[in-house]
Amino acid sequence: MSQVREPAFDRAVALVLHIGAFSCFFVMLAGLIDGLFVSGHIPLEIERVGVLLMLATPVVRVIVACFLFFWEKDWKYGWISLGVLIILLLGSVFGIGEH
Amino acid sequence: MVTALLLVLGFFAGLLGAITGIGGGVLLTPILALHFGVPIRQAIGTSLVAVITTSAASSSVHLQRHTTDIRLGMTLELATALGAAVMAYLVGYFNRNALEELFAGFLLYSAITILTKGSKGEPVGDESSPGSHEISIPPYEPKRYPLGLAASLVAGALSGLLGIGGGPIKVPVMYIFMKVPLMVATATSNFMIGVTAAASAIVYYRRGDILVQYAAPLAVGVFVGSLLGARMAPRINTKVVVYLLVAVMFYLAGHLILHLLRGWV
Repeated sequence: MSQVREPAFDRAVALVLHIGAFSCFFVMLAGLIDGLFVSGHIPLEIERVGVLLMLATPVVRVIVACFLFFWEKDWKYGWISLGVLIILLLGSVFGIGEH
Repeated sequence: MVTALLLVLGFFAGLLGAITGIGGGVLLTPILALHFGVPIRQAIGTSLVAVITTSAASSSVHLQRHTTDIRLGMTLELATALGAAVMAYLVGYFNRNALEELFAGFLLYSAITILTKGSKGEPVGDESSPGSHEISIPPYEPKRYPLGLAASLVAGALSGLLGIGGGPIKVPVMYIFMKVPLMVATATSNFMIGVTAAASAIVYYRRGDILVQYAAPLAVGVFVGSLLGARMAPRINTKVVVYLLVAVMFYLAGHLILHLLRGWV
């Protein structure tokens, strides 16, 4: 690889994605199962939580990578990660009030 | 009934995606628009959730194998995220017909590209199979960062515009122009897709263009389908599946074009 390979770094980021993907899957599945037995808004709200968790997973992944880069004093990539995070956060500002 | 259909649709999109390396978004968006009556903008936003699901599930596997170049991925994500967020915002001003025309064109282009590459035995998509065995990676140094960033900006914009991952642009650019080994390029592209799709999906969500009642069953189906597909991929004849995928893409492109023509008459 071009960069020094850091298995611990890779594992930490992989763990975030793994937890994110599985937790979203189970929350959405719970919402779908709930929808079979319960009518009304509750199943849809559970599914919404699952979708929001899924949208948040890549954001959390960037936050963790940013933290790890700064922790390792890898300033260049720390700032790059922070830039990606700012773009992601600005995305929510873009959409405000456009319903 | 609709929920069950969406679960099945997501499952097959995830399965095909994992086997062929093509993200589910390219199939899900037109199917949602044509067969479920979802307006194209909501179909794009909804399929982005499935794209993030596929990326999160498969890139965690690539990361555990240390085939992902996180530093390269983060650098290029600056451009993909920017392109995706800005284009997702601009899509709010596009009319439905323009989006359907763009999507039909993209489907035709992708189908022809896959057919050409598939017949030469080259990889067709942006995701190397997580089920495949580990390969040692030769030392390399990514080159031509400005070109990589420019291409990533375009890939991100396409993702925001059409609800796709943008891998068919990122992988060749990293592999051919930046001199990154193919396995690293595919894994890094996969890693980037989650953030790229999230950048635009957040804008779509805030605008009300993600239909939760459609996104949840699709994501559940895609998750199961892509996990199963990743395990099946090394053991099945990929070529047959690729031809099936191309046939579906031609069918959807033709259907979209007919839909547009009917609107004009």
